[in-house]
Amino acid sequence: MQVFDFAAYARFKWSDMRMILKAMGVTLHVTLLSLAIGTLIGLILGLIRCAKNPIVNKLPLIVMEPLRNSPLIVQLFLVFFGLPSVGIRMKAMQAAVLTLSLNTAAFFAVLVHSSIKSIPEAQWEAGYALGFNKFQIYWKIIARQAIRLLIPQAITLYISQLQCSSLVSFLSLMDLSKAGQQVAQKTMLPFLIFGIVAGLYFVLSFPLARFAKYLEKRIGFTI
Amino acid sequence: MAMIEVKSITKSFPVKKYDQAAKKYVKDTLTVLRDFSVNFDQEGVTVLLGPSGTGKSTLLRCINGLETIDKGDIIVDGMSVRDKHQLRKIRETCGMVFQQTVLFPHLDVMDNLTLAPCTLLGMSKKDAVERAKQLLDKVGLLSKEKARHNELSGGEQQRIAIARALMMNPKALLLDEITSALDPEMTSEVLAILENLASEGVCMLAVTHEMAFAQHVASRILFMDKGSLVCDASKDDFFTIYRKENERIASFLKFIGE
Ligand SMILES: Nc1ncnc2c1ncn2[C@@H]1O[C@H](COP(=O)(O)OP(=O)(O)OP(=O)(O)O)[C@@H](O)[C@H]1O
Ligand SMILES: [Mg+2]
Repeated sequence: MQVFDFAAYARFKWSDMRMILKAMGVTLHVTLLSLAIGTLIGLILGLIRCAKNPIVNKLPLIVMEPLRNSPLIVQLFLVFFGLPSVGIRMKAMQAAVLTLSLNTAAFFAVLVHSSIKSIPEAQWEAGYALGFNKFQIYWKIIARQAIRLLIPQAITLYISQLQCSSLVSFLSLMDLSKAGQQVAQKTMLPFLIFGIVAGLYFVLSFPLARFAKYLEKRIGFTI
Repeated sequence: MAMIEVKSITKSFPVKKYDQAAKKYVKDTLTVLRDFSVNFDQEGVTVLLGPSGTGKSTLLRCINGLETIDKGDIIVDGMSVRDKHQLRKIRETCGMVFQQTVLFPHLDVMDNLTLAPCTLLGMSKKDAVERAKQLLDKVGLLSKEKARHNELSGGEQQRIAIARALMMNPKALLLDEITSALDPEMTSEVLAILENLASEGVCMLAVTHEMAFAQHVASRILFMDKGSLVCDASKDDFFTIYRKENERIASFLKFIGE
C-alpha cells in the first residue's frame, strides 16, 4: 500500500508545504473578509426583517431567499462567469468575496431575525411600561438578550462558511483546497496531502467550535 | 381635577371570526370598552372587579398607553395618552405590574431596578442603587440584589417587579392580577407587601380576584361587566348594599366563592 511507501514521501517537498500554507492564507483572507462583510449586511437585512411595516419587512427576502435556496457553487459561477456577459467583470478574488459575503449575509439575517423574534413580547411590554422608547428597548433589553442567542448560532454559520469557501477553488483561486489538489496531483500522495489539508481546515474551525460551546455555557441562560 | 380621567373611551380589537355561511374566517372588530368613563384620584386603593374578558386589563393598558384608544381620551395628571410625546411621562406617573412577571433576564435584580431610573430620569447610579436598596428592603428582598430571575420564586419575582415599578416614583401603581399566577403562600407574601405600601399612602389601581385583599385594603371598588362600569362604590357599600341589590354582582361574588 502506498501509505507505507515511505520513500515516496520524499516527493513532498518543503516548497509544496509552503504553497499549501500560502493557500491557507488565501482561504483565511476570503473567509474572514466575507464573514465580516456578510455579518454587517446580514445584520442590516435582519433588522429590516424585524420592521413593523409588513411591506418593508418582506423586502430583504428578495435577496435572501434566492441566496439561501440555490447552491453556493452556482452563485459563484453566476457572478464570475455570468456577470461578464452583462459587462460586469471581476477578478476571481473579488467575485469570491462578493458571493460569499452575500451568501453569508442571507443566512446571518435569518439568525438575527429569529433571535430578536424569540425574545418574548412581554419583554417589550415591560420596557414600554417603564417608559422606555422603542430604540431604548431594542438597545438595552432586546439586543442584549438576542445576542446571547445569536452568538453560538453565528459561530456555527461561520464554521460552515469557512468550509464552503473551498468552493472558490472552482474560480481558479489558489485557496487551501485548490492547492491541495495541485500538490496531491504533482506528488501523487493524495492521502497524505488531503490529510494535511483537512487537518489545516480543522485547525481553523475547531477552535471556533469550542469557542461557541464555551460561549453557550458562559452566557446561556434560561428565559 | 382627578389624577386619571378616563373620558368616554372606546377600544376595540381587530379579530378574525368564522363565517358559517361563507365557510371562512372574516375580519371583524371586537369592542371591548364602549363609551367608558371613570375618574381616579391619587388616594387609596381602588380594586377593579369583574368576570373574565370584560376588559379590566384592557382598561389598565389603555391608561398606561400600551393600547391605543379608538375614541375618547384619557388624561393622566394633565397629560393625554393620545400625545405620543407625553407617553413617557404618563408611564412614569403610573407604574404598571403585570400578571406574568417580566424581569429582564440578562440583568440581576439590582440592575433590573436601576436600569429605568438611570436611563430615563438621569439618576446617578449611586443614588439609584441607594433607592433600590430601600425598596428591596421594603419588599423584604434585600438579600437578593445579585440574584437572577431564575433564582427567584414567582412571588419574589413579583415583589421585585413591584419594587422596579416604584423606582420611578410613580403617583399610582396599576396592578393587573399580579397574584393570580402564584400559589396561596406566595400570594399572601405579595398581598402583604401591597397592604404595607397602601398603609404608607401609595395609590393603587388593582385588578384582582383576591376578595380578602379587596375587603381589607381597598377603599373603592369598581365592578365591570362586558366592557361597561356596573358599579362604582366605596368598599363598604359594595360589600353590603350592592352585593344584595345587584344581581350580577351577587352572582359574581358567589361564583368566586365569596
Ligand atoms: N390584543 C388583543 N386582540 C384581540 N382581542 C383582545 C386583545 N386583547 C384583549 N382582547 C379581548 O378583549 C376582551 C377583554 O380582554 P381583557 O384582557 O381586557 O379582559 P380581562 O377583564 O382582563 O379578563 P381577565 O380577568 O381574564 O384577565 C377579551 O375578550 C379578549 O379576548
Ligand atoms: Mg386581565
